[in-house]
Amino acid sequence: MTAPAIELVGLEKRYGDTAAVAGIDLGVPPGAFLVLLGPSGCGKTTTLRMLAGLESPTAGEIWFGDRVVASSGRGVAVAPGKRNAGLVFQSYALWPHMTVQANIEWPLKIAKWSAADRRTRLKEVMDLLSISPLVKRYPGEISGGQQQRVAIARMIAPRPGVLLFDEPLSNLDAKLRVETRAELLRVHRATSATSVYVTHDQVEAMTMATHIALMRDGRVEQFGAPDDLIERPETAFVATFMGTPPANVLAARVVGGRYLRGQIDLGPAGTPDGSDVQLMYRAESLHFTETDGPRRVVLEYAESTPLAGRYVVSGWTDGTRFSVVTADLPTALLGQRLRVLVPDRADRVFDADGQLIDPAPAPSAGHPRR
Amino acid sequence: MALLAPPAPPETGPGRGRPPASRWARTGSALRQPIVLLGAATAVVLGVLVLPPLAGLVATTLRPEGITAWRDVLASRLSENLFYEPLINSLVIGGATSLGATALGGFMAWLVVMTDAPGKRWLGLLAMIPFALPSFALALAWETVFRNDRIGGRVGVLADLGLMPPDWLSWGALPISATLIAHYYSLSFVLVTAALASVNADLMEAGEMAGATRARVARSIALPVVLPAIIASGLLAFAEGVSNFASPALLGLPVRFQTVSTRLFGAISTGETARGYVLALLLIAVAAVVLFSSTRLLGARRSYATITGKGGRRRQIELGAWRLPLTGLGVLVVLVTTIVPASVLLASSFSRRTNSFTGGFTTHFWVGASDPAFAQGQRGVLRNPLVVDAAITTITLGLAVAVTATVLGLAVGYVITRLRGPRPVVGAISILSYLPFLIPGIALGAAFIAQFGRPIGPIPALYGTFAILVIAGAAYTLPFAAQSGRSAVAQISADLEESAAMAGAGLFRRMTRIVVPLSARGLLAGAVLVFVKMVRDLSLVVLLVTPATPLLSVVTYRYASEGFAQFANAITVIIAVISVAATVAAQRLQGTAQPWVDR
Repeated sequence: MTAPAIELVGLEKRYGDTAAVAGIDLGVPPGAFLVLLGPSGCGKTTTLRMLAGLESPTAGEIWFGDRVVASSGRGVAVAPGKRNAGLVFQSYALWPHMTVQANIEWPLKIAKWSAADRRTRLKEVMDLLSISPLVKRYPGEISGGQQQRVAIARMIAPRPGVLLFDEPLSNLDAKLRVETRAELLRVHRATSATSVYVTHDQVEAMTMATHIALMRDGRVEQFGAPDDLIERPETAFVATFMGTPPANVLAARVVGGRYLRGQIDLGPAGTPDGSDVQLMYRAESLHFTETDGPRRVVLEYAESTPLAGRYVVSGWTDGTRFSVVTADLPTALLGQRLRVLVPDRADRVFDADGQLIDPAPAPSAGHPRR
Repeated sequence: MALLAPPAPPETGPGRGRPPASRWARTGSALRQPIVLLGAATAVVLGVLVLPPLAGLVATTLRPEGITAWRDVLASRLSENLFYEPLINSLVIGGATSLGATALGGFMAWLVVMTDAPGKRWLGLLAMIPFALPSFALALAWETVFRNDRIGGRVGVLADLGLMPPDWLSWGALPISATLIAHYYSLSFVLVTAALASVNADLMEAGEMAGATRARVARSIALPVVLPAIIASGLLAFAEGVSNFASPALLGLPVRFQTVSTRLFGAISTGETARGYVLALLLIAVAAVVLFSSTRLLGARRSYATITGKGGRRRQIELGAWRLPLTGLGVLVVLVTTIVPASVLLASSFSRRTNSFTGGFTTHFWVGASDPAFAQGQRGVLRNPLVVDAAITTITLGLAVAVTATVLGLAVGYVITRLRGPRPVVGAISILSYLPFLIPGIALGAAFIAQFGRPIGPIPALYGTFAILVIAGAAYTLPFAAQSGRSAVAQISADLEESAAMAGAGLFRRMTRIVVPLSARGLLAGAVLVFVKMVRDLSLVVLLVTPATPLLSVVTYRYASEGFAQFANAITVIIAVISVAATVAAQRLQGTAQPWVDR
């Protein structure tokens, strides 16, 4: 097994009493595309900035290959420019007083490339990103999508071993976002660098990542391959954050060996009586029904979204958002009550704190481990 | 499989693994480490520039005669006359100057930057000129026109024509405030213009989309963004108004209208040094109260980063029916504050009889050879080698101080903006850079003689050298340079520097390639302010100048006090020409320095 290209060991960043990053341990192999995913304020950007060297950790270490680039214990803090890493800022941070060409070339100048090498490389990256016609323009004179490409070109020009992206697509329109996503992956492969990408968009994460670290409150909630997070969520938070639509999680209590949600019986329990649990059901495990009986949850209809030839029907059940995938476009009206039949075994069972108790059924045929 | 399997807990190789707990918490970004050094260095330089003179002031007032002076000033029969009444006069003048200058400067800035007023380039150029005129020039011009016969002697143009102005128009608070407003509004104009130019049209359009009226958008969106500049300029104008010496000396002193600074000047010039220093310290204390409340206001609003890596647009407000009336108002402002006083000065330098436009004109005071019939045989100013020499020294001094103060001001602005801690360093730099403008120029000059007039360690006595003028000038103009450095740097988004740091650029390189080019407009404006302030300054240099280092303003002052009004006015015109030329050149330079800014 190759040594990790990037490794975080007990990484922490505190501002006074609050911890923006509260201890992260993970590592990815060379060539990996690591996505730091999570809601805003979860510490993902702070982590990225520590990787870039723009912030110093208050505890822990960062390793790039076999080189420690930041360590509070050893007093190591390699300067951002000496880490062989490039960063694309959310704002792009193109220098407004430099032309596109100067923006791309200046870092090479700092790195003491010869004029001939600079020109060759400039042409290479501009061709790679199809921005050659913009060479003499100022950043204020080109569109947002073009600025984005220039920012990427500027980052990869010095051939960094680590590419860092701070929500680079958040300022682009949906179509451009999808195109640029593919573009970024192409660049990532073309450079054979290791990438770290920050986003709050789980679709972006799913499509690009080889590894996802889903963060929450400064900690890594779950780290793994994209399908791990979808298929084997380890916490209720992961279950409700990942997937389109995300999985449903219903609170229930064990009474007489059965899961009860209020008066509704949700099937036989695997945990002791009196314990509070959260039951996870995938949207595709649920069905609408007209009949009465146990395991029927009432859904107050809110909306439906077409998705790959089927429909995601969403609504609320006692304040919990709930989604069901069906083949037919429902004719329900806003607020109408629909009955949903849940399977007799939940796809996953979490405790009251959201930690996994029971992985439940072995992965079904529909979800093979890749 | 290595790619997809979640890596097991990291292998604990040699040296790897959970590191020992940090002995000291490393806070802060990587940009900071060199900044801390820069901050410390800046603090030291400022300390050396500012603290010894202040310490000199304090030390003097703590000696026995100083204690007596404190009693005289604060708690004796003399106090009312010596301090309390002048204090009220100073505060009234400072307040009026601050309000008037900010309102006038803000209006002109808005008109020039935000609207489609015709001829606004010219209005903008003319609005910057009063600051280039020495403040005694406007006072002299006022006197030339409005002086009445209350104290006898020569009268002004109006009285000469038979229209005797009332006392309140000739002397005291009104004319002093009016001349100071006409002088300092252009300072507000410069500062607010720079801030307004950075307001992104999106912000305002978003307000209009929300259904706000134009007035509401201006009040709720543009105003908060430029408020730091407005507060800063009001603060500067207040400090200048309170401590100005030339205007109250010319328009108040003759009728015994005293301010703290004229009292201070009187005390020092009559040898009551300790009493003068006590007054200086009190003046500092008064201004400090204003300063601290204002920094608190400004501090909370520090981080409006408005230059980002994304392009912004600017949009003009169409004035519609208000176009002509508002433009007319703008024209009136520049007429009254610039063109009329300049014409009066110029005309009176050609007038045969002092302050009279009816007694015929002559070019003698400019180019005349020595003629016993005129001015006791003195040559015209352009033929006078002393004046030519003084002009060269003045320009050299202005340039040297502008460069020194701007470099310092950039360092101060950078450290204050980017170094979010350690608080004591930032606070110290902030306070040190503001302190000098609480010290009246004349007191600062005296304090510099006291400190640098004798050798200190390896430094020889500097009195009478060019160096002491540069050092004193840098200390004196530091607040201006620091203010412009601060607002210039605050408008550059930290991203832009961080991306340079990612490219491996060190602090020096980021300064020269990112910070300076992007803040060039503000820095250049600040440098010109400093240059102009030095070229036309009298109060600071009047005590420091020796025959080896003649300066135009001192020569003017000598002529004026000896009664040669035409010579004085002629040299004042020369000073104005130098300053105005600098201002215009700076405008041109700004255009070529920032080709990426669309205009």
